[in-house]
Amino acid sequence: MSGAAGLRDGRPDHGGPAGDSEARGSVLTAEGLRVVRGGKTLVAVESFALEAGEVHVLLGANGAGKSTLLKALNGLEPAQGDLVFEGSVVGSAAGRLTLRRRTAAVFQKPHLLATTVLRNVETGLRLRGAGRDEARRRAAAALDLLGIAHLADRRRDKLSGGEAQRVSIARALAVEPAVLFLDEPLASLDPPTCRSLTADLLRIFARRAMAVVWVTHDRDEALSVGDRVSFIEGGRIVQTGEVGEVFARPASAAFAEFLGLETYLEGHVRAGSSGAPGLLVLANGVAIACNEAPEGPAVACLPPEDVVLFAAPPPERSTSLRNVVEGTVKAVTPAGRLLHVVVAGDRLEVGALVTRAAFEELELREGAPVVAAFKASAVHPIPSHEHRRR
Amino acid sequence: MQLIWQGFVEALRLLFGGDSDIYEIALRSLVVSGLALGIALVIGVPLGGVIAMTQFHGRRLVVAGVNTGMAAPPVVVGLFVALFLTRNGPLGELRLLYTTWAMVIAQVVIALPIVMGLSLAALQQLDAGLTQQISALGAGRFQAFRLQLLEIRVALLATVMAAFGAIISEVGAVLMVGGNIRGQTQVLTGAIVQETRIGRFSVAIALAIILLGLAFSANFVLTAIQQQGRRQA
Repeated sequence: MSGAAGLRDGRPDHGGPAGDSEARGSVLTAEGLRVVRGGKTLVAVESFALEAGEVHVLLGANGAGKSTLLKALNGLEPAQGDLVFEGSVVGSAAGRLTLRRRTAAVFQKPHLLATTVLRNVETGLRLRGAGRDEARRRAAAALDLLGIAHLADRRRDKLSGGEAQRVSIARALAVEPAVLFLDEPLASLDPPTCRSLTADLLRIFARRAMAVVWVTHDRDEALSVGDRVSFIEGGRIVQTGEVGEVFARPASAAFAEFLGLETYLEGHVRAGSSGAPGLLVLANGVAIACNEAPEGPAVACLPPEDVVLFAAPPPERSTSLRNVVEGTVKAVTPAGRLLHVVVAGDRLEVGALVTRAAFEELELREGAPVVAAFKASAVHPIPSHEHRRR
Repeated sequence: MQLIWQGFVEALRLLFGGDSDIYEIALRSLVVSGLALGIALVIGVPLGGVIAMTQFHGRRLVVAGVNTGMAAPPVVVGLFVALFLTRNGPLGELRLLYTTWAMVIAQVVIALPIVMGLSLAALQQLDAGLTQQISALGAGRFQAFRLQLLEIRVALLATVMAAFGAIISEVGAVLMVGGNIRGQTQVLTGAIVQETRIGRFSVAIALAIILLGLAFSANFVLTAIQQQGRRQA
């Protein structure tokens, strides 16, 4: 993803839950972190480690506790448990202030102060004791970095939403934080603004040795910016790992559903026969050719973009499509520029994404006969003991 | 009608004729109320800030008390300040009753809840996200308070106006604790009461014009600053 990923210590990531926070090179670690408000536990994270230079995405649905976790991690919200920043324990209010002064945060709304853009960007530096001249110089450099030097004398009511968010990000970067916390930074912006800001942020991340915690509910955003991702559900981290890995192998039905991998398969892995590395046998006896995996109970997800639809069963020669479901179109729903089609077979239902052109060509009206096929390599079984159930 | 007209003409003659008594009374009004306002701001704004920024047991009761205090009748304030300052009262030793200091104290007591209540309300209306952003920028408690005051500066000016308007035009408390002694503790409002009572309407009208003028110019200046602030917000 970003060039900052190269700073990681090369330790292999795995799709399991976060466990080894003691890894060298961690900037910020949390153990047994809990935020309880009004008798309600909002965050209960057993273990979290932010590694030097990584962009760590906290992904989850609205109300999952991502923002509260972010506030507990950057010292805005008092929390129980052990929080260690750059080797020092963050316990007291003074410790949290020190943490906030070594980091920076940008929220969904830019929250600019009622003064000029330049003064806004100077604020963090001034609060941290920088002199007037130094603050001005570094603020100007930060504005340059975000390409908004021409806005220096504007006031907040004369800025567009995208410009204001750029000011907020410049204000955060001006202090050269050890950790940059971003809480849904793109959620209020229109798509073009979003794309250009994402590109600029990735360029900046690549040039700076700073770790980033990026909160989002948007899986595509997580994919495009993250090095690692933690999936948050009910205030807990249910899975942590390298982004591609986690997205390919979500370890719970809820996460799979969140990722849009709605075909969730649960069964037993058996050794594969010729050609297929493994077989996933479902409770109803259906056997699915899959990737190699340890024998025993397992779950797997089938990404809808890996399912191909045909009007008739594919010819024998396309041997890589080992799994074939003959059935009828059960439902069709628009999914952006594509269409999402649910194919109901005798004993298995799968979701597929097709282009509108393919949809017309295959005449996929509801109830129409159709054949869905997918490769064994599209199915990654995860042993059941590895994924956590609450 | 004749009476009013004559009164106005005589009042204008007094005003522009440089009647030193009248100007002395006006100056005393300004000094007493200005001092009381300053003290009320210095105490009241930080107190309002503490109430706005902290959570404590009985907070609602305190807020309700402050809001009630904003509407406290000046005569009641006068009564309690007089009770404290009277020779046998808890602060009787200070011998402050019937001095301008007693009037300043009474006006501080009147202005304080207004300053506290309005600044508290303004601080509470600040976007919680902005307050959080200020903390995230690395502000300690006092730095955060200073930035928050800058954010509510327009509302703070309205607070200054309201408090000044309340005490410069107040008559009950200054009469009770100041004694309305000509040349010593008499201010504009007390003088208007006295001149009206003895039928010297022209002097009363002249004093009233000054009082209105003071209230108007104070509000005019503050409004001008406020409009400027709004443009900059």
